[in-house]
Amino acid sequence: MAAEISSNQAPPAAYAMLVMLLRRVFFSAVGLGILFALWWFGGWLLETNPATMSFADFGPFPTFDAVPYMVQSGTLLDASQASGYRLGIGLLLAIITGIPIGILMGRSKVFRKLSNTPFQFLRMVSPLSWEPIAVIAMPTWDQAIIFLISMAAVWPVAFATSAGLAKLDPAWFKVARNLGASWWNILKEIIFPAIAFDVLTGIRLALGVAWIVIVPAEFLGITSGLGYTIQDSRENLMYADLTVTILVIGFIGFVMDGICLALIKRFSWHRG
Amino acid sequence: MIDKAQAPGAVARTWLIDHIAYPAVGFVILIALWAIGGWFLEINPSTSSFVKFGLVPTMQAVPGLVSSGYVAEHVIASGYRLAIGLFLAILIGVPIGIALGLSRVTEQITNEPFQLLRMVSPLSWMPIVVFVFPRWDQAIIFLIGVAAIWPVIYATAAGLKKVDPAWFKVSRNLGANFHKMLAQVIFPAIAFDIFTGIRLALGIAWVVLVPAELLGVSSGLGYAIKDARETLAYDHLTAMVVVIGIIGFTLDTIVSALVRKYSWQKDV
Repeated sequence: MAAEISSNQAPPAAYAMLVMLLRRVFFSAVGLGILFALWWFGGWLLETNPATMSFADFGPFPTFDAVPYMVQSGTLLDASQASGYRLGIGLLLAIITGIPIGILMGRSKVFRKLSNTPFQFLRMVSPLSWEPIAVIAMPTWDQAIIFLISMAAVWPVAFATSAGLAKLDPAWFKVARNLGASWWNILKEIIFPAIAFDVLTGIRLALGVAWIVIVPAEFLGITSGLGYTIQDSRENLMYADLTVTILVIGFIGFVMDGICLALIKRFSWHRG
Repeated sequence: MIDKAQAPGAVARTWLIDHIAYPAVGFVILIALWAIGGWFLEINPSTSSFVKFGLVPTMQAVPGLVSSGYVAEHVIASGYRLAIGLFLAILIGVPIGIALGLSRVTEQITNEPFQLLRMVSPLSWMPIVVFVFPRWDQAIIFLIGVAAIWPVIYATAAGLKKVDPAWFKVSRNLGANFHKMLAQVIFPAIAFDIFTGIRLALGIAWVVLVPAELLGVSSGLGYAIKDARETLAYDHLTAMVVVIGIIGFTLDTIVSALVRKYSWQKDV
């Protein structure tokens, strides 16, 4: 009897999951469809109005026409690689400096009290205002851009790490010490698993800010990257290339943000 | 007796040490690092043309910049754009956030398009925005609004999801209409989250403001930075960096005080 019930219940559970999945796919398709329709409508308005006809390339169909050419010529790949390299190094530097600073803030009361206000002040200096100084201080433009990205991305990492440590139960350290854990064991077995969630949340915020900073940072001085492609398309009045680049920026950002979100969910222990 | 007399004084003293003495020492360290940096620029012949980045030349430039009205002029221009942009982001973002928090269908339909739009770096809209809007001011306000709206939307939606559904039932049973429910249940419950979202939005708007003002306009903090660089007035440049930091810090402190005031979940 019991077996019969459970075997009867199994299909509905799988069925319910399938329905849920289909619902999600359906709703996403509807949402993206609405976005596309709005874009198409905007393009149609541009096309039918004689005063704005020269901007008709902003519409969806000219944009999609431009995609194969931009892919084949390597423009998109080169730009994405150049930006990806700067973003990768910039974020990496922000993470390897931000996490130790965050751990120091979280573990040492004196350091936290001393550094909090100066760090909040530095955090609220808009990153792009460092640009002239970065350009003079760094030998290459690439390094200046990487510096700007790190300068913007280090604060979310540091503050999230410190906030994660503040939530730790001090009793855990006592238990660990009583069980004979060394300093390294405590770091590896308690601190890192406990704050992984917060560090990743900080990295997700850092990625968002870095992604905002990289485009204007690439407007000047260099001839590669997504920001440069935006600038270049505008100057050459290649409006379709411009919208393709905007789409690519949105898509890459979306994928990176999705990866961060999946990692955050994976390392979350606060609740189901 | 002694305890009662000493307790307030001791509390005040700890407060002063934590909130004045420690930050002051922290700032002194920061300023000392800056002074050392300036000193290195000065003693090295190859960098002596950049001496004005140092602490002393910058501090010498500040009184002139302030008294001539240069600082006030650009702060007001940027402040106006920031305020309108943030205001529009809040005005549009909060209702969208409420819609997402209350309806799962709306949330699922908008999820992918909104995430895609959110991750389009705001400054990449700039060329399009400049064509769409008749004035640069409006283009900058749009860029700030488009960057700041997402934190407001998602914080509002997240706040609403934490609201216990029983509260809606209770208020309906007590005869509350939609407007009453909004004023008495929803807003007090999510005020904390909205202000958290506004704090994030302010941070992002502040990041976007400076590069948005680098082009086209001849006022604002971003323009002042560019102007100082082009005229090689490095002391003005560092002075403006300090001004940007002070204003951003002040705004952030105000918003985080509001976040704390409206917090009912726990002490933040």
